[in-house]
Amino acid sequence: MTNMENLNKYNEIFTEVFGVKPEALDANFSKENVESWDSVHQLNLVTLAEETFDVMLDPEDILAFTSYEAGKEILRRQDVEL
Amino acid sequence: MLLDIDRLPSSMTVAIDSCGNRLSIAEVTALADKMRELLPPRSLLFLLTANNAGGIAWILASLLSGNVPLILNAHTEDSLLENLISTYQPQFICTPAGMAMNQHGSPLAGDFGYDLVATGAPAAMMHQELSHLLPTSGSTGSPKLVRHMYSNIEAAALNISTFFGIKSSDRPLMVLPLHYTMGLSMVFSHLKAGATILITDAKMTDPVFWRFMKEQEATSFTGVPFSFDVLDKMRFYRMKLPHLTLLTQGGGKMPEALNLRFAEYCRDNGKQWIATYGQSEGTARMAWLPPEYAISKMGSIGIAVPNGRLSLRDADGKEITESPATGEMCYEGRNVTMGYARCREDLAKGDERHGFLPTGDIAYRDADGFYFIKGRMGRFLKLYGNRVGLDECEQILRGCLSCECACTGNDTLLIIHLTDAAQAEMAKETLMNAIHVPATAIETRICDALPKNEAGKILYSKLEND
Repeated sequence: MTNMENLNKYNEIFTEVFGVKPEALDANFSKENVESWDSVHQLNLVTLAEETFDVMLDPEDILAFTSYEAGKEILRRQDVEL
Repeated sequence: MLLDIDRLPSSMTVAIDSCGNRLSIAEVTALADKMRELLPPRSLLFLLTANNAGGIAWILASLLSGNVPLILNAHTEDSLLENLISTYQPQFICTPAGMAMNQHGSPLAGDFGYDLVATGAPAAMMHQELSHLLPTSGSTGSPKLVRHMYSNIEAAALNISTFFGIKSSDRPLMVLPLHYTMGLSMVFSHLKAGATILITDAKMTDPVFWRFMKEQEATSFTGVPFSFDVLDKMRFYRMKLPHLTLLTQGGGKMPEALNLRFAEYCRDNGKQWIATYGQSEGTARMAWLPPEYAISKMGSIGIAVPNGRLSLRDADGKEITESPATGEMCYEGRNVTMGYARCREDLAKGDERHGFLPTGDIAYRDADGFYFIKGRMGRFLKLYGNRVGLDECEQILRGCLSCECACTGNDTLLIIHLTDAAQAEMAKETLMNAIHVPATAIETRICDALPKNEAGKILYSKLEND
């Protein structure tokens, strides 16, 4: 997969979980700023990301998956090109 | 004295919370003395608690000082709280500091991060045995309360600490809210055993939660099915938690696959897995599944707690003595509460149940005497003359849908509520074939999410039924 395809898939995870448009996804899209970001949403993000990119995240990564940008970093460490 | 608290060393730590607060027996008794000075005897107070040491302090001090608290969630919806206040007219309201209940009266005192406000309401007539009140679980819109008596606290603490084998060295991690019967019973049972409770408000996806659990070396964790769903997704099985030796579950039936994962994990890692069954009306736990049966009797709520008795009654209310059998499950024991209150006058009422509680749950008892919950009584429709069990319908649907679903309805229509429009047609067809009713008798409704309470139980009252 190319970076672009991966990014589109990564964005889809967020648009599906939060029901937002891709335009809403930026550096400010985080647990602090998004009201509906609760533990259920966070776990759904992680589950979808794992399925989409065929990776298995550690508990520490699941806890740290608290923003759009942080999620990218976590997946990059799993060798997902984003 | 309540739970023989005076026999515990005054320096003993009752609770530690994830904000770093510690609460000792001496502090609890001092707060109780302060309440005796400030409040007229047998005052009715609303206690809005957060899951912290202060919440435990005020609950215990209220009970020790002979005042009667209604224990509520600090995040109770405003309109519901106003409704409760106008129905019961509490003389005092205690809330986490900063909640500004000043519109209800003048500030009186503050301690442990909570403020106490006097409303000026007159004293209420209260039965001498009445210890505390809890909201009825699941029905968030109702002012119906469960009336507990002092002997319920003693009985629940004894029964629960007995079957869990609670020791003074235990350190239970408490995420269940204090206003929830199972959470409150954790406080009673561990206090009786002289154990220190680790209490937190932190979400399980918050690093604070995990740091607290590891640093404080929690020895047990009690959750509802939702809690274990979260643990499952958090890769709980791969974590190193050597001190954690007991996992206990209540608050409804676990999905089978999830239950099996935890039961097997516990078996393979030298930990205990104990499923329990309870209701507010029975001061929490009434049944438990001993850990050695966690896998062979999976899905069962087990047997009666020590000092209690379970039985099945048929439709005429007659006890069914043979097994296997199915009927309404009833419980007898000293933890059965006095009854309900629907208005202020009801607080003067005495014990209406005399230790006997029809649970309203339909259960199957197998040949070995283990109980399995099959559904709620009353969750039935009569469609075209056929008795249709809504819980049964949901079970059928869950077997073929990959989204959440719930069934409601009336005597002409069964409604399937589900979260994925793409699966609606299949859901309808599946049920039509399973219960043999015409297509017009089943409708599907799509929602974003099913309404649930904090314990993850579906709030049927918030779903349309016509």
